[in-house]
Amino acid sequence: MTTLKLEHVHKSYGDLHAVNDLSLSVNEGQIFGLLGPNGAGKTTTIRMIMDIIKPDAGRIEILGEHNPKKIRDRIGYLPEERGLYKKMLVREVIQFFAEIKGVTKSVVQDKAYDWLERLDLIEWKEKKVEELSRGMQQKLQFICTLLHEPRVIILDEPFTGLDPVNTDVMKDVILDQKKNGATIIFSTHLMDQVEKMCEAICLINKGIAVLQGSLSEVKSRFGKNRVKLQFEGKADFLNDSALVASYDEYNQYVELTPAAGVKPNQLLERAIQTATVQRFEISEPSLNEIFKTMVKKGDEA
Amino acid sequence: MKLFAIIKREYLTRVKTKGFLIGTFLLPVMMFAMMMMPAFFMSRAGKSAQHKIAIIDQTERLQDKLVASFTEIKNDKGEQRFQVQLFTSDEGLDAAKNELNNKVSSGELDAYLVILPDIFENNKFEMHAKNVGNFEFVERVERTVSGIVRNMRLEESGLDAALVHRLNSWVSVTTFKVGEEGSTQQRAEVSFLYSLLMGVILYMMLLLYGQFVVRAIIEDKNSRVIEVIISSVKPSQFMAGKVLGIGATGLTQFLIWIVTFMLIAGYGLSMAQMFSPEISRLPIPDVSPLVLVSFCIYFLLGYFFYAGIGAAIGSMVNTDSDAQSYQWIMIFPIIISFFLMFAINNAPDGLFATIMSFIPFFTPILMFARILNEGAPMWQVGLSVLTMGLSVWGMIWLSARIFRVGILMYGKKPNLPEVVRWIKYS
Repeated sequence: MTTLKLEHVHKSYGDLHAVNDLSLSVNEGQIFGLLGPNGAGKTTTIRMIMDIIKPDAGRIEILGEHNPKKIRDRIGYLPEERGLYKKMLVREVIQFFAEIKGVTKSVVQDKAYDWLERLDLIEWKEKKVEELSRGMQQKLQFICTLLHEPRVIILDEPFTGLDPVNTDVMKDVILDQKKNGATIIFSTHLMDQVEKMCEAICLINKGIAVLQGSLSEVKSRFGKNRVKLQFEGKADFLNDSALVASYDEYNQYVELTPAAGVKPNQLLERAIQTATVQRFEISEPSLNEIFKTMVKKGDEA
Repeated sequence: MKLFAIIKREYLTRVKTKGFLIGTFLLPVMMFAMMMMPAFFMSRAGKSAQHKIAIIDQTERLQDKLVASFTEIKNDKGEQRFQVQLFTSDEGLDAAKNELNNKVSSGELDAYLVILPDIFENNKFEMHAKNVGNFEFVERVERTVSGIVRNMRLEESGLDAALVHRLNSWVSVTTFKVGEEGSTQQRAEVSFLYSLLMGVILYMMLLLYGQFVVRAIIEDKNSRVIEVIISSVKPSQFMAGKVLGIGATGLTQFLIWIVTFMLIAGYGLSMAQMFSPEISRLPIPDVSPLVLVSFCIYFLLGYFFYAGIGAAIGSMVNTDSDAQSYQWIMIFPIIISFFLMFAINNAPDGLFATIMSFIPFFTPILMFARILNEGAPMWQVGLSVLTMGLSVWGMIWLSARIFRVGILMYGKKPNLPEVVRWIKYS
């Protein structure tokens, strides 16, 4: 079943086409990644889904509804620009944001306690929000987004500003929500997270969807022709354009695309002539590479 | 329910601030002090004190009578108020003045009078003192000397002074204020001061609370909570919540003032009277329930009207300084109605007052001022509540349309054509 559907959505600000003919659909229970470089139109898209701004053209359907006002309380939204009432107590802020989602006071209190416990904020319950560190504030905002048990969770750049430990905590929280049957849509430009979590993605660049589908589908579209090579010795063969189309150097290894018609075996033969190969692996392209390729292509066009 | 959550948050966070506590409790204390201080000092420095005065009498015919008259005057405690000494000097008037000036400076004397021989022709005499600002004292001295001079004249022209006095006696007016419960005695200037005070409170509260709305919305905009709120409640709900929450704060503040006022008028005064009987003469006007109710009604109507403008302004801009360039729309009419309040005071039932008090921008303050001055017939009051109610509705409708668009606008502040477009198409 489709939880969210965008059909030919347009939005421009003056001459700038922030979102241009965007169509996408997200299935129920999926974790969906909305990817794109800065300024691609991710936040504009999310704001249109949230009914904060109206599209110039096109249709948005969420939970089978065209009128977003009717399903407001079933959506949880973490905006890109985080904001809480700084002078309020942690407990009060949670209560306020739950109440404007229609949760009654008595229900809020129990749940708030569980959440604060889980995210290690219980000792800060009676503190003012402004006394919390940024990371803690972000966790608090997560609670405010999720306390009313939304069916659809929309997170705009949920991991920015979090340390690795808290990133893992958040990741677990998101996966838990999925287990409970929620549909999660998040935007990011961090490909690691997407690869670990998302089942489907949509990559947008300059307001246009350049790539979408399930993660495995997208990857297979790029073919299983990447070679990961770890070695010691001379690496001059990398610059042989008859052999190697392109490569990326990482700390421990290089990831390369063989030139057209070159078999991975030929590459290995050439490599062992000048270097000691420690690892040789044929794999799918990483999402990071796909991302960069697509964005570069878009910029050249 | 959601609306209530927003109202509650706004109300509670406001009521808990230091600013609210200070404003609410310090203001009545200060006002009370302002009312009490002059009375207190007047009674100290004035009628209950004793004064040493010297008299230089160059007519040489008045001195006995002067001494007699001044020594007869008693202060509030029943003691002799003036200690009089006659002063003569052989070295001429200037030398005498010099000597007395020194005595006044050193505090040996409070004042001295110089009565020149031509007082019967010129009708003038001099008083020299360190402090000539105590009107009651000056008037007392003036009255005493005049009395003597007049009596002298009458005697000299062969008339019976006592008879002339009786024939010539002054008639004084006692003013009564006609209210709900018949007429009550009240001095005219007290009634004016009282309505002025209520008018000033209303004026200050409208000005203050209108700006609170502007600032509250800018704050929310800057703390970026707007996006979450707007995706949870309708913009109109959010705006209503803000306006109602802040309005409830204002009403709370006013009710606290009224209660404090009642306590002061009731218990505080009787306590104070034990220490100084003077205070019992303080003009504490009786506050009729009609006045209190109409204060609340006109505060709320005025507040909603101006809060509507404030909400629209707050939604359009991002910083306090940006807001300043629009705030005159809200502040000017309030200030103008404040001045009009004085202008209509002489004729609160006149045509000018009537017309002005029906202009929505001025209605809250002017109609209230007219009610205080008994210048507005009931039908006009009723009608003004109706027209003001409609104006509030219209203003809120207009503001909500601006608010809906403006609240999510970050960046440069919009110009007039843009705002008009928002109103048309939102």
